[in-house]
Amino acid sequence: MIANLLDGIVLGLQFGLLATGLTLIYGLGGVLNLGYGQIAVTSAITVALAMDAGIPVLPAVVLGLLAGGLFGLLLDLTILRPVYRLRGEARVLLSLLLTLGVSFIIDGYLNWRYPLKALNLYIGGGAIEILGVLMRRGSLLASAITLVTITGLFVFFRSTSLGRAIRSVIEDEAGARLIGIDPKQMLRLILVFSGVLAALVAVTRSMITPVDTTTGLSITVFALIVTVVGGLGNVVGALLAGIILGIVNVVAADLIGSYISLIILLVAAAVTILIRPAGLLGVKE
Amino acid sequence: MLEVSGLSAGYQGNDVVHDVAFHVDQGEAVMIIGSNGAGKTTLFQTLCGLLSPSSGKVLFEENDITGLPAEQIARLGMRFVSAARHLFPRMTVEEHLLLGAYPYKPDPETMSIVLDLFPRLAERRRQRAGTMSGGEQQMLAVGRALMSKPRLLVLDEPSTGLAPLLARAAYEALAVLRERGLTVLVTEQQVPLAIAYSDRGYVLENGFIRLEGTTEQLAANPAVRSAYLGVT
Repeated sequence: MIANLLDGIVLGLQFGLLATGLTLIYGLGGVLNLGYGQIAVTSAITVALAMDAGIPVLPAVVLGLLAGGLFGLLLDLTILRPVYRLRGEARVLLSLLLTLGVSFIIDGYLNWRYPLKALNLYIGGGAIEILGVLMRRGSLLASAITLVTITGLFVFFRSTSLGRAIRSVIEDEAGARLIGIDPKQMLRLILVFSGVLAALVAVTRSMITPVDTTTGLSITVFALIVTVVGGLGNVVGALLAGIILGIVNVVAADLIGSYISLIILLVAAAVTILIRPAGLLGVKE
Repeated sequence: MLEVSGLSAGYQGNDVVHDVAFHVDQGEAVMIIGSNGAGKTTLFQTLCGLLSPSSGKVLFEENDITGLPAEQIARLGMRFVSAARHLFPRMTVEEHLLLGAYPYKPDPETMSIVLDLFPRLAERRRQRAGTMSGGEQQMLAVGRALMSKPRLLVLDEPSTGLAPLLARAAYEALAVLRERGLTVLVTEQQVPLAIAYSDRGYVLENGFIRLEGTTEQLAANPAVRSAYLGVT
């Protein structure tokens, strides 16, 4: 049981980080990025290809993170342009359709060019005992990186002026503009940033299980469920929902079977929305 | 300092204000008065860049700011305090004041001026804006704007939602700021308040400027007296 709990927390932290990127883009710009998982996969494949070319693992990972950021920037500069001209619901819908289109193109391209490619940063060595449970080194390292990143995120948003400026746009866009903050600039920054986050999750994920070209959709779906449960636009909610759903997912997979666990996740999400329509920590409009 | 000419603006092609012209000189306090629905808020939202004008021109310190987005106008040193306040509900008083100076480092001297002016904000540094009373929120909105050391402060109905005593206090704070050399443009429905604290004024009716003059001239005008000062 404790083993499940720890596994769930490891997975949940990654879910939470994944959802953070998605929820920030929504909170800032009213844009839902359904190509999010493909950013993660593209970054993972970039790392794998770089390592094939003989680049050592750390520089290869840096390349992957850069690829994620660049992907986000390209989305902002190209496909999201027409989206920014719309407001409210129309904006959400168009962003959803266009980024879904991008995800199909990326999936198609990757499956055609690199059908057998996968990123596998399996970390060897014996398991380490924690709370009487044996944990794999890969899981521990992935969790450590994720925790450090989450802590960094909190420090950034609480204590830096750029972090506060980004939060102010989520809180009240007109208010932010009236004190000289350009919401478009902040959104571009967050798209780059969320791309890097997606890449980071892909890299840490690959320490536990291989990330291949077919993983994109499931990453997007997980991120989307966690984002909705946490409350769209709410970072703390996303992290909390990530951990809860991570535990639900692992326990369900263990007790019932992993084929059913996605359904259980969806049910958990649906129940949350029925009870709290704005999400766990969402604010009612 | 601010020079507006032939300005028309509104929503979706329907102009609410028409061919408005006025000016604010360095160091002045100028009021624009008018009843509810006269177009004061539309006019001010256009001035500060939240709305685009359909025609006309706005000059701020010789810069043409017509149609510039709000964030650029704010950076030029003209700050707008909306009647809707547009605070950040889940952020603390302190965070608002720090953000007011964005992208620059907050100047400690300006911070202490603001906190001296509104001691209430100093007491509530860690409180979230969303949990504060209307009067405190108004102070915070003005304080946030002041943190950038603006040369022109534009206030839309600062007395909105405030009890008479608090509304008076808001104007007293403005008087202090004026002594420090701040130029102020203000709209007001509660005309007696604005008249007591301004040098000159304009009367906006149905989107047109109908009258202008010094506050003494306006206060002596029979039309103003009966419509806005409750004197018959």
